[in-house]
Amino acid sequence: MNAHTPKRILIGKVGLDGHDRGAKFLIRALRDAGYEVIYTGIRRTPEQIVRTAIDEDVDVIGLSLLSGAHNELFARVAELLKEEGVEDVVLLAGGTIPEKDIPHLAALGFRHVFTPGAPISEILRALQQELSSRE
Amino acid sequence: MNELVDKLRQGDRRALARAMSSVGATGHTESSLEVCLRESTGQVPWWGITGPPGAGKSTLLDALLVHLREHGRRVGVVAVDPTSAWSDGALLGDRVRMMRHAVDDDVFIRSLATHGHHGGLSDATLHCARLLELAGYDPVLIETVGVGQNEVEIRSVADLCVVVLGPGYGDDIQLIKAGLLEIADIVAVNKCDLPEAQRLVNEVREELVATERSIEIVAIEAKSGNGVPELLQRLFELDRARRTETAEASRNQQRSLGEIRRRAEFSCQQALRHVLAGPEIEQWIAELNRGACSLEKVISRLAALALAELQQEADDE
Repeated sequence: MNAHTPKRILIGKVGLDGHDRGAKFLIRALRDAGYEVIYTGIRRTPEQIVRTAIDEDVDVIGLSLLSGAHNELFARVAELLKEEGVEDVVLLAGGTIPEKDIPHLAALGFRHVFTPGAPISEILRALQQELSSRE
Repeated sequence: MNELVDKLRQGDRRALARAMSSVGATGHTESSLEVCLRESTGQVPWWGITGPPGAGKSTLLDALLVHLREHGRRVGVVAVDPTSAWSDGALLGDRVRMMRHAVDDDVFIRSLATHGHHGGLSDATLHCARLLELAGYDPVLIETVGVGQNEVEIRSVADLCVVVLGPGYGDDIQLIKAGLLEIADIVAVNKCDLPEAQRLVNEVREELVATERSIEIVAIEAKSGNGVPELLQRLFELDRARRTETAEASRNQQRSLGEIRRRAEFSCQQALRHVLAGPEIEQWIAELNRGACSLEKVISRLAALALAELQQEADDE
């Protein structure tokens, strides 16, 4: 008698970005794909995101930002996670992120960076890949 | 596992979060953790907040947290949302409305999915609430979706239940008739600034005239916090009035009984499912359809097989 335990994903929007239609679409797609999604809403601070991720013991953190402040804010999240000793969470980033910034985010630990228009199927595939490689 | 429990008792948040994850989706725990969980005495109040989607439960919880913190309490919250009927996933969106408490060291919020448990609760919910107790949170608030008689397990688990209703759902009467009100200690009619809310209060009042238990109605406006301090005050008073040794012992017993029942039902369902997929079924159906045996006979054969399977599992433990 073995119940499959769904993976838990935190989807958070940091900074002042107020657009959440994309995020709302994404979280439903994630739920339909079998994930437990903890949506933290818009305009969250890195501290709020990290504390939530720890308390909810999530497997994945997906950060979204459309206002361009990704470098500092995403970096701050990565930094806080490190300070808290959280090492086994998959980090994903999404938003209006120029190509040139992707290597920097990768170096911070973000496994995939999705730009606007990235199809949900691509996100789901990447997610599955990351999670199964950690089993 | 015991180290985890020691750590969480000392205030280690990650240990608490990890312990909750180890309880897993269905609440089946390792026996060492189970022993620790049984230590819960029933002395810490558990308050259930339930009601239909959109009534304002999370918003109310958020406001209650503010006031409970002002009273110097460390509060634990378990927020339960339904698992999707089609996938195994869930949208755990209650936290969105409580994010201002995210970085408060004296608040711990955990989001859980129901995993198909029709009572609106799972053993995981129970275990997480107990873990919050062990970690020193007091009270423990449990938020669940409740729309009718199926989602009333919170009543057997919580010391006090607040049913939150809000105007704007044409079928409020249906909810009332569906038995949701029966589990309430307090009915909180939210969005009381809207005119429809007063009508709802009247409808609820009429409905409650028929019941024998004393159920209070409180009008609130959760977003602005209107009426929330009063609601909290009533909760404290009711809590004090009920806090007797026998009440605690009986609450603990009820929780354990509920746990045993849920686990037994789950096990039986699994065993039945397994047996129904077995090779004998086709033959039994053939016999049934040509009149060679009765339905009762088929059922008793089924039961025998399922029991044998349960016995096998118990022996394997």
